Amino acid sequence: MREEVALQPEAPVTGQGRMDVAWGANTGDETDQELSQANTAQGGEIFEQHYTPWRGTLNPRWMRNWAILRHHLLGIFRKGHRPWTMPTRIFILIAFLASLSDAGMTLLSGLVGSSEFHGLFGVSRDNLYGHVLGFFPRNVLYYPIIAALLVGSVISEDREHGTSALYFSRPVSRFDYVSMKFVSVALIQAMVVLGSYLLYFLAEVVAYGRGWAWMVDVFPMFLAGILAGLLLIFTYTSIGLSLSSVSTGRFFPGIGLLAIVFGTKTLASIVKNLFEREILYLVSPYDCVAHVGQAVIGTQTTYDQYSWTYSLLALVAMNALALYVLATRVASMEVTRE
Amino acid sequence: MEDERIIHTKGLTKAYGPHVALDNLNISIPRGATGLLGQNGAGKSTFLKTVLGLIQATSGEGTVLGYDIRHQGVEIRQRIGYMPEYDALNPDMDAIHQVRYSGELLGMNPVVAMNRAHEALQFVGIGEQRYREISSFSTGMKQATKLACAIIHDPDLVIADEPSNGLDTKAREFMISTLNTMVNDGQRSVLMASHLMDDVERVCENIILLHKGKLAAQGKIEDLKAIDREIEIHVWGGATPLEERLLSQGFRVRREGRVMRIAHTQDDTTTQILRAAADVGAQIRRMHEYEASLEDLFLAIMDNLGYAVKSSEDLLRSPLEAKRVDAPESLGGGSS
Repeated sequence: MREEVALQPEAPVTGQGRMDVAWGANTGDETDQELSQANTAQGGEIFEQHYTPWRGTLNPRWMRNWAILRHHLLGIFRKGHRPWTMPTRIFILIAFLASLSDAGMTLLSGLVGSSEFHGLFGVSRDNLYGHVLGFFPRNVLYYPIIAALLVGSVISEDREHGTSALYFSRPVSRFDYVSMKFVSVALIQAMVVLGSYLLYFLAEVVAYGRGWAWMVDVFPMFLAGILAGLLLIFTYTSIGLSLSSVSTGRFFPGIGLLAIVFGTKTLASIVKNLFEREILYLVSPYDCVAHVGQAVIGTQTTYDQYSWTYSLLALVAMNALALYVLATRVASMEVTRE
Repeated sequence: MEDERIIHTKGLTKAYGPHVALDNLNISIPRGATGLLGQNGAGKSTFLKTVLGLIQATSGEGTVLGYDIRHQGVEIRQRIGYMPEYDALNPDMDAIHQVRYSGELLGMNPVVAMNRAHEALQFVGIGEQRYREISSFSTGMKQATKLACAIIHDPDLVIADEPSNGLDTKAREFMISTLNTMVNDGQRSVLMASHLMDDVERVCENIILLHKGKLAAQGKIEDLKAIDREIEIHVWGGATPLEERLLSQGFRVRREGRVMRIAHTQDDTTTQILRAAADVGAQIRRMHEYEASLEDLFLAIMDNLGYAVKSSEDLLRSPLEAKRVDAPESLGGGSS
């Protein structure tokens, strides 16, 4: 037998020591019995299966709904929740920063002290309307595209991946499912539309040192802007989700929403220019919201041939239709097979 | 009080217009593992949806874990773990977060759900891969993740729809052993819908067999196998005269060359076979009881039912057979 190699911390590291560590100090000294045992050893897995019981309590309905909301909202900001695509996240950030342009210009006008500059960009009835409902650039480049990116897969992916079973085999009702998805998508849009609106208002207060008297004076106008924004978000979300609910892909709902928003507006615009008739704007979701928004905020209306109440009725009708389609399609989602 | 019967239905009927998907089902499922069998369109999916409280029965009543299926769907789904047959996972999510989310949807606190997700994934054998995206998983790993989603809240009853479907041999073995561990070590009940009779037989003690929306058979597999009990003999010299003699005595005989299987319907069947062989001068070189597999049983029941007959009375018409089957008395069953 060879002597045991003393592997003390202070022992010098020699070539022999390295060999012993690498190959085992006693290799070659096994008895016949040891060898036969080694040869018959079976390969196995280091895995012991134990079922661990859990005796916790499950929270009520509000917690389940919060889970759906949280899953969708936090997915915008971090990993581990709903995986929104990177282009969606980047676009939301870009649109949010771009929406803050009037806030930045207001701060700049406050620094420069130019009243003309403030007239162009500062808080006023027209500018508050423009921040939420202005067609270019916000309702061409930002808000409908955000809505399209968001709604594209919110329900359709559950059909595509069969994840509806994950919801409906649990104590989640279809109403809770669809309402939480609706609120999630609407809240993400609200972060951009209304978040930038609030910051714009705050920029005016900061840049010009506005006091309580001013704030109380413009508060109804401010609230009307929020109402118009909510109307816009609700309409885009309901139409978008209804398209998402009839699809199993993310392309059709997104492109469908953009086609409806821009297609109807373009058609109405062509008809107006050719025939001097504005009535076709009643089929355009954006124009209906804009008309109602103009009336609510109190700016000069750009739709002269009919009352804003017609637009409101058209808006109610198109939202009702969209919600009906959404409810019907979600009701038909299967648990056992999709 | 915990009812010993985890699922109990009485006259359960579900009709979609003129089409009757479930027809007057009287089902009683005890604790433990039960297989749910039936051909496509037999009503398995409708039964599962009704049990989960997702669709309202047209008539009849039922309880799951003591909760009424008509009014307490939410309570039922809180105490059941459902593992769907088809993909039900978001491929862009990590397994751990997918399982945690499924726990949150049950009402679990996010931190608790995360801890429990680790345990569930460890149990189903993909603890080391839990931070991988599901899109990179094999079919077996996806099935395991679905099972982890189903058991995260430690349900009293796991409904597994085709749990071993599409799995390779190793993954299938693991799934079977995992379900067995749940039943035997975890003392949980499993209702397993599957087309793979072998898997059902290895996991379950009981089966429910549906046929065209009706209950074809239910009870312990061992008892049901008695319906198709046969004696296998290997004959040398005089096989044809022996077959004719047995047939003339009223036995059901299946023959392939020297091997014959005779229906074991009476206590003295063996004696009568030996006597008949002696009479015709045939040699019986081997004789043993033939153990039918669940697949044999399934085929026997289906042969017995045909495609027109729709009631269990057809299957259980013999009082002797009925006594061996743990079916409700209304269906001709009863304890022996």
